[in-house]
Amino acid sequence: MNFITDRRRFLAGAAAGATALAMPAYIRRAGAQAADLAPYQSANIDWKQASGQQITVAVIPAAYFDNLAAITPQFEALTGISVRYEKIPPAQIRQKCVLDFTSGTGTYATHAADPMYYNLYHSNGWVEALDRFVEDPAKTDAKWFALDDVVPAWREANSVDGSLLGLPYDGEVTLQVMRKDLYEAKGLKPAATLDEFASNAAALHDPNNRVWGAALRGVAGAGQNVYIYSSLFRAFGGEWFQDGKLVVNGPEAEQALTWYVDTMRSYAPAAAQNWNWPDIADAFSQGTIATYVDAHSSASVINNPEKSTVVGKIAYERWPEGPSGKRVSSIWNWGMPINAKLSDEAKTATWLFIQWAASAETQARTSYRFDGPAKRSGVNRLSLWRDPEYVKTVSAFGDNFVEATLASLENDTDVNWRPRAPQWPAIGDTLATAIQAALAGQATVKAALDDAQARIAPMMR
Amino acid sequence: MKTKHLRAIGLLVVTGLFVIAWAFPILWSVLNSLKNERDVLAYPPKFFFEPTFAAYRDVIFGPQSILPNLWSSFVISAGTTVLTMLIAIPAAYALARLRVPGSRWAGFYVLATQMLPPVGIIIPYFLILRNIGWMDTYQGIILIYLSFSLPFAIWLMVSYFEDIPFEMEEAAAVDGASRLTTLRRIILPQVQGGIAVTVVFVFLNAWNEFLFAVVLSGNTVRPVTIAMFNFVSVEQTLWTQLAAVSVLAMLPVVILGIIAQKHIVKGLTVGAVKGGGRR
Repeated sequence: MNFITDRRRFLAGAAAGATALAMPAYIRRAGAQAADLAPYQSANIDWKQASGQQITVAVIPAAYFDNLAAITPQFEALTGISVRYEKIPPAQIRQKCVLDFTSGTGTYATHAADPMYYNLYHSNGWVEALDRFVEDPAKTDAKWFALDDVVPAWREANSVDGSLLGLPYDGEVTLQVMRKDLYEAKGLKPAATLDEFASNAAALHDPNNRVWGAALRGVAGAGQNVYIYSSLFRAFGGEWFQDGKLVVNGPEAEQALTWYVDTMRSYAPAAAQNWNWPDIADAFSQGTIATYVDAHSSASVINNPEKSTVVGKIAYERWPEGPSGKRVSSIWNWGMPINAKLSDEAKTATWLFIQWAASAETQARTSYRFDGPAKRSGVNRLSLWRDPEYVKTVSAFGDNFVEATLASLENDTDVNWRPRAPQWPAIGDTLATAIQAALAGQATVKAALDDAQARIAPMMR
Repeated sequence: MKTKHLRAIGLLVVTGLFVIAWAFPILWSVLNSLKNERDVLAYPPKFFFEPTFAAYRDVIFGPQSILPNLWSSFVISAGTTVLTMLIAIPAAYALARLRVPGSRWAGFYVLATQMLPPVGIIIPYFLILRNIGWMDTYQGIILIYLSFSLPFAIWLMVSYFEDIPFEMEEAAAVDGASRLTTLRRIILPQVQGGIAVTVVFVFLNAWNEFLFAVVLSGNTVRPVTIAMFNFVSVEQTLWTQLAAVSVLAMLPVVILGIIAQKHIVKGLTVGAVKGGGRR
């Protein structure tokens, strides 16, 4: 008798346990079904036209892609297309996708693509021009999709010879990030020029009390020290191409690199030579850096109360102006291209996916309307940056965050920020090594740049 | 007497310092895995803090649980090790003992495969696996791992076989034992230590491998070395979780090392009767 009641109780418990375990999945699926698809269905296209297709999407580990993956069941319900994500570390995603392209296997229908790689992709015919999808009324409802609303500089960065190759899903601009309290204590204003940036850093520099005046990315890499240097080079009036030739060792280059080296040596912690931006954000979070210039997306890290001791003391401003009068922010974005090796049907399915991911509706659903802790701030739509609800969400990151970001998005992004050429991966690595040599004092600025020029010239032939 | 003591103490201190320096990264990982994010970044570094197991809870039970990844790593490493040893032992024995024309060249050829830089062979491997449909499968990755663990294991095992006096085999032959029986009954027990050392190294190499895994694996097979990168996103490094994953990833190898230790020590001391060599 006892055995039977125990057994019943056990079975009831097991059933309850199994239900509890299965519940999140069930709720997720139910949520996807019940999610309001009407905003998408109002587009005048047949979302089901590639139903039954399966696509694989390669992304990097990042909260903003996790958000997209979380609402992808909505896309599957809308289109009947199934999507499989593969997460690949940022450094390897380029290699793996290039490998996929060179071998023509068509593994990844689309991937989180580096804007600097589009020239390489285009010159090899690895990706499809998106224009024919954008212009086809059966595949895109132009009014609903509103391509013009997508940050123009990012679109341009993802275009080669006038054809659009990838649509931005998430992107960034570079901003001055400041410790409001330290600035106020010294009566300082955000820097309007690079000179002011250096003088502010000098005023705030107090290493004996563990506060360094400024920090910039120093570690070698096409996406690290070159990220900062390129903005400086352009702000000093540099042009990458002269008479069709890539020149990296002109007078502007020397001035820009000298400013970079001086600022780092004088006001940054010695270790910053080997820091990438998460390291800078970590140090800033600990209150040891007075100001830095980097991607606006670091705001979510320095405002994380579990990590940061400076929440509530943060303010933002646009990149300071260089001697040329230009402020040059980044054009960085993770865009999505279409693999040229796919079948026509798979291309259509991939386009529908990209259109869905880049649409204003999905951008909102993965940011301020996302039902989770991570609200992303790299949305691709200017209209969203003016949407009161979105503005309310991201304004929590600190003073002037929205104004500085929007102004940079609209005015400061420079599509020729870095030399756009198919040889980019090698050019970027060469420049990175030269900058590192100068920062570390292993070579003079001039010697480092001359050496880079000597190495780059043969690549461009 | 006094100087002798001082010398001993000095030696102990120096050894102690070396041990601390060697073990520090591991100790630091363990400490970080038990801190909260703020304490990890704190300056001066915190050695005393209120420990929390939140990072372990997150990486084991959270949405990015690494248990499936540890399982992937285990299947790959164990599979590679078993297959490697099954092939390497007879191959090494043959290379060490059998008089076959060209066996020296065969030995060199096996070693030569180790001289290729891994990046240079990754594309052919990628294409092969792609064409036979073995991308992102256990059998595919184990097959590729075999290609570099085998030469290594064969060469390591050859040296152990060569250390065994040939006379032992001759004695067994006189007693009427076949070659296979001799290998099984006489030789293998002698090279137990060598087998243990080889097993540990092969397992370790497969467990730690990153380059091939990142290209040849996907969502189905995803070893822990790749999954670790989920905690180093472009936005931030989740130090406590990364440390917790590192500690968890270290554990199986440490356990294997402890199990094999007895045999390894035996293997090092057993060569009392050296000499034998290649025939």
